[in-house]
Amino acid sequence: MISVRNLTKRYAGHTAVDDISFEVDRGEIVGFLGPNGAGKSTTMRILTCFLSATRGTASVGGFDVFKDSIEVRKRIGYMPENVPLYDDMRVKEYLHFRAQLKGLRGRSARHATGEAMDTCSLQEVRRKMIGTLSKGYRQRVGLADALVNKPDLLILDEPTNGLDPNQIRQVRELIKRLGERHTILISTHILSEVEMTATRVIIIDKGQIKASDTPQNLIRRLHSSGTVHLEVKAAPGQVIEKIESLADVKTAIHISSAQDWASIDIHPCSNVDIREQLFALSREQNWPLRELYRDTASLEDAFVNITGS
Amino acid sequence: MRQFFILLRKELRSFFLSPLAYVIIALFTFLNGWLFSSIVTAMRLRVNQHSLVYNLFDSGWFWMGYFFLFPLLTMRLFAEEKKMGTLETLFTAPVRSAQVVMAKYFATAILYIVIMLPIFAFFFLFQDITGELAAFQSGSFYGAAAILMLVGLFNIAIGCFASSLTSNQLIAAMITFVGVVLHYFLGFIHFFGAKLPTELLDKVTYFSTVEHRRLFTEGLVDTRPIVYYLSSAIVMLFLTHQILERRRWKA
Repeated sequence: MISVRNLTKRYAGHTAVDDISFEVDRGEIVGFLGPNGAGKSTTMRILTCFLSATRGTASVGGFDVFKDSIEVRKRIGYMPENVPLYDDMRVKEYLHFRAQLKGLRGRSARHATGEAMDTCSLQEVRRKMIGTLSKGYRQRVGLADALVNKPDLLILDEPTNGLDPNQIRQVRELIKRLGERHTILISTHILSEVEMTATRVIIIDKGQIKASDTPQNLIRRLHSSGTVHLEVKAAPGQVIEKIESLADVKTAIHISSAQDWASIDIHPCSNVDIREQLFALSREQNWPLRELYRDTASLEDAFVNITGS
Repeated sequence: MRQFFILLRKELRSFFLSPLAYVIIALFTFLNGWLFSSIVTAMRLRVNQHSLVYNLFDSGWFWMGYFFLFPLLTMRLFAEEKKMGTLETLFTAPVRSAQVVMAKYFATAILYIVIMLPIFAFFFLFQDITGELAAFQSGSFYGAAAILMLVGLFNIAIGCFASSLTSNQLIAAMITFVGVVLHYFLGFIHFFGAKLPTELLDKVTYFSTVEHRRLFTEGLVDTRPIVYYLSSAIVMLFLTHQILERRRWKA
């Protein structure tokens, strides 16, 4: 669906996107992650034909974004960051205008407008002026605009930016539903959202792609030194000594003690899950055990690890 | 073409559903009405060899108001879209920049005609009420309407261009005002003490709105100014288009 080859975008004295290449297949939901200023929005603007590239090529549905920009624009629905809208228009009127602009006529434009409003739960505010809407509703109008012509590809630049947790959950559910029918490229700062919705993640930093994999694989990479936390009722010195005598343990550190309970962090030597050995040890030593868990890395950890923030 | 009409309708809608259009229409109708009655009074008190149409459009007061009209009409066209970010949603929809430019231009031209219509209604009212002639020959009416239309179309194109240069409406308005005024005063250049060779002065006068206006309001319709204003407007619109497309040029 999307094919990007050696794409570079330079502004005066600064390279926003530096020789990136990636592909997005039909039906995928791809999370486009990166710190602020990493080049996400610039890449999205090139893909939506708003900006040109300094070097390289990009195509959507087989059409070059520079040479066949009208064909590309017919096939995409784009929701820019900050959702720019005409404040002096009513919701229904705006979406109908956008549907017509995207090539829908008469009854099909009206039908598509109604459908987009239903999908994004906008019926109750359809007669309201956009300028009077809350941030959450504005975001939904932007989303409805992006999908009003049922495009093959949805490009959403931070669709949950500035929303409250309830609204984020609603938008996330909506994106999940949309993923059943559309290919989606979504950039966001809320990594848990991508973890739940995306089939693949592309991490970009300083204009370069640092990683491209499924969220699960990215997280798995971080598991290699998963720390284990243990809380037992025993003298900390004795516990550390016994634990460090285990073959797979690199170090054990006493974190704190409260009412005879010692809290210990154990770092294994390699990618070994030592929880079973620790449980066996505490039973053997008759240490009352009240906590034993292994740190599970999140996409956020993967993101921090990869972008070096 | 269909996209052009959709955009034109949207532009007209945002003009006529905003209070700004009505404020401008009311203000200019009032100012021109007041000027009209003053000129009628002046002509009654002092014999004048020119017609009412000629005198009204020869009045510096009329042109002073006229200069302020174009910044007001055009300042928001692209500057507002740039500031709000809606230019991004507009140009990522399957529309061509030329369609956007032409839709905004023609919508402004329609509003301009609506603002200018009352002036011509004044002349007909005057003739109806007094039984006197507002112009010595009907050509004067058409000439005055034609020159106002031509100058207006050119000035709106200047405004479009200025508005495409910036996201600040005030700056766009100032550029338009300066452009419109400078062009108008080309015809007065020798009054400002400019020591120009006669040949150059003749050439500059050829571009002078003042000269064109005098000829047209006397009913002498010359094709050269028509070509000049329309081609200049096209050049300004082409430049506007290029400014908007600049972001897509390979950098």
